[in-house]
Amino acid sequence: MKKKAYLGIDIGSISTKGVIINDKNEFLAECYLWTEGNPTKATKEVLHSLQEQFDAQEYEIVSSGTTGSARKLVGSMIGAQVVKNEITAHAVGTTTLHPEVRTILEIGGQDSKIICVENGVAVDYAMNTLCAAGTGAFLSSQAHRLGVEVEEFGEIALKAGKAAPIAARCTVFAESDLVHKLQVGCPKEEIIAGLCKAVAGNYLNNVAKGKKIIAPVVFQGGVSKNAGVVKMFEEELGMPVMVDEKGHLMGAFGIAVLAKESQDEREFSFDVADMEFKTREVTCGKCANHCEIICVYREGQLIDSWGNRCDNGAIRIQ
Amino acid sequence: MIQTIGIPRGLMVYREGVLWKNFFEELGFQCVFSPKSDRRILENGTGRAIDETCLPFKMYLGHVMELIGKCDAVFVPRMGGYLSKEKMCTRYEALPDLVRNIFREEQVKLLTVSYDWYDKTKEERVYQELGAELGKTKKEVKKAYAHARKKQDAWLKGKEKAQTQILESKKVKILIAGHPYVLHDAYMGGELARILEKMDADVLYTDHVNRDSALKRSYEFSRVMPWLINREMAGAAMLMKNRVDGIMIVSAYPCGPDALVNDMLMRRLKGLPVLSLTLDAQSGTAGTETRIESFMDIIKYQKAGGYGT
Repeated sequence: MKKKAYLGIDIGSISTKGVIINDKNEFLAECYLWTEGNPTKATKEVLHSLQEQFDAQEYEIVSSGTTGSARKLVGSMIGAQVVKNEITAHAVGTTTLHPEVRTILEIGGQDSKIICVENGVAVDYAMNTLCAAGTGAFLSSQAHRLGVEVEEFGEIALKAGKAAPIAARCTVFAESDLVHKLQVGCPKEEIIAGLCKAVAGNYLNNVAKGKKIIAPVVFQGGVSKNAGVVKMFEEELGMPVMVDEKGHLMGAFGIAVLAKESQDEREFSFDVADMEFKTREVTCGKCANHCEIICVYREGQLIDSWGNRCDNGAIRIQ
Repeated sequence: MIQTIGIPRGLMVYREGVLWKNFFEELGFQCVFSPKSDRRILENGTGRAIDETCLPFKMYLGHVMELIGKCDAVFVPRMGGYLSKEKMCTRYEALPDLVRNIFREEQVKLLTVSYDWYDKTKEERVYQELGAELGKTKKEVKKAYAHARKKQDAWLKGKEKAQTQILESKKVKILIAGHPYVLHDAYMGGELARILEKMDADVLYTDHVNRDSALKRSYEFSRVMPWLINREMAGAAMLMKNRVDGIMIVSAYPCGPDALVNDMLMRRLKGLPVLSLTLDAQSGTAGTETRIESFMDIIKYQKAGGYGT
């Protein structure tokens, strides 16, 4: 008999992550790529890549889960047993690998959050509001302005003697601040260090406002790959900040763990990666709310729909 | 000649609407309420409001528009303060003036009472003034007011009692704290209750907690805070915090009193999960659902004592 394996996919606004784990929570396959505004396509690519790494002779996938902002869409696409929000997925993933963790800092492509953990369970969290200031998107746009790859930011920042003061509360203000610093001849590395400091400061003053940050602290999300921001966090907090090498996969890992724990087992086939999926948005006209209902079609057949505020807009699936 | 009186389904209708309806009906008038809030009503109201105003006020204007042409007069009370000490947001003190001015071209006939006193004025007196305007005798008005007040009090008692029963439930209990006209509006807070109930939670409201006890408790919370509704909300949250599994503080953007009070309330509600949500005119509910879902997860997993099965 084949050994059991579990699939987790985390479809974020910027990147899509996929992992396959075994029953000991060990990684059997992993993949990370850009969503590029097309979650269905990104998921198919992730599935193809996972399939290549996966030993189908030894293992079989018995359960799957999705998380991230496109979790519903991809969940119905792959027929996932567990569809859960990214906060729970990240908390589960991180506490599974680091049972002692007390605070999880996370900065992603367009959102940031803090999760407080007590006895291995999340007890409190906060998320940024709709504004994406101080997230990965902010760093990317500033990198573009400076003509530097955002991946190089961390290293450049570490070389700087000091950090130029930059206000990052609002991206628009930060940009004028940055232009001003450039015009007065401030060295680029100091500006980059300043941006990293601004991201850390912005996070601690907004998202983490009023939350008690207790060690051990784990920092994850795309921005955790930026050594400059990590250093600024350590300076501001006065405690070590741990960055897991697999930190960017934590959501996908967490949802795979939840899929395993659901004990809801069903055969999974990689064939979905080659099927055609279409989504259509219909505006329901049954009342004045005009709900935008999303319909998902697999090979032309309606498989799921959501977005209706009331039963009048429910679309029956044959 | 006034026969039909229109009552906009917004703002304090969620607090005093039963009184208004029964008062007019007892005097022999017909009452017509605007329909439940939806996106169209909000869009209509937004079109007539100035930019900086709050979501519930925009919604209210939309409700007034619904009633134009469907009644002989629209009832728009002036809500300065229900009691001598505690006050309301200035926007509601000026409500009839704002409405009259915004709809001056439509020449809407307005009826009003003025909940705006600092002395020992009784509520009955302002209704006497209104009754006189409607051509009713003092005796008729006295009877109508007494009847309406009784109905209003009975309605509130019923809500309080129903909520006390929910406290016995075995399900996860979430208290939603906020202004009644946000919490019970079908398009604003109604959505939140629907999402919570879909996740198998029981929903309780701060405005269904006994008002007098809540107001009294609020003076321990703050001695100087002027706003009545925020007082009742904060007091009720403090009274209920040990009897529910989590509290969701809901505010409609932008609200000055909430901006001050909710932050303070968050800090006083230590020891249980608290989620603060700000509602705006967004049509998508995805962000809200993610936040509520993770909030419910925290409560459930904490109860279970871990993520394992």
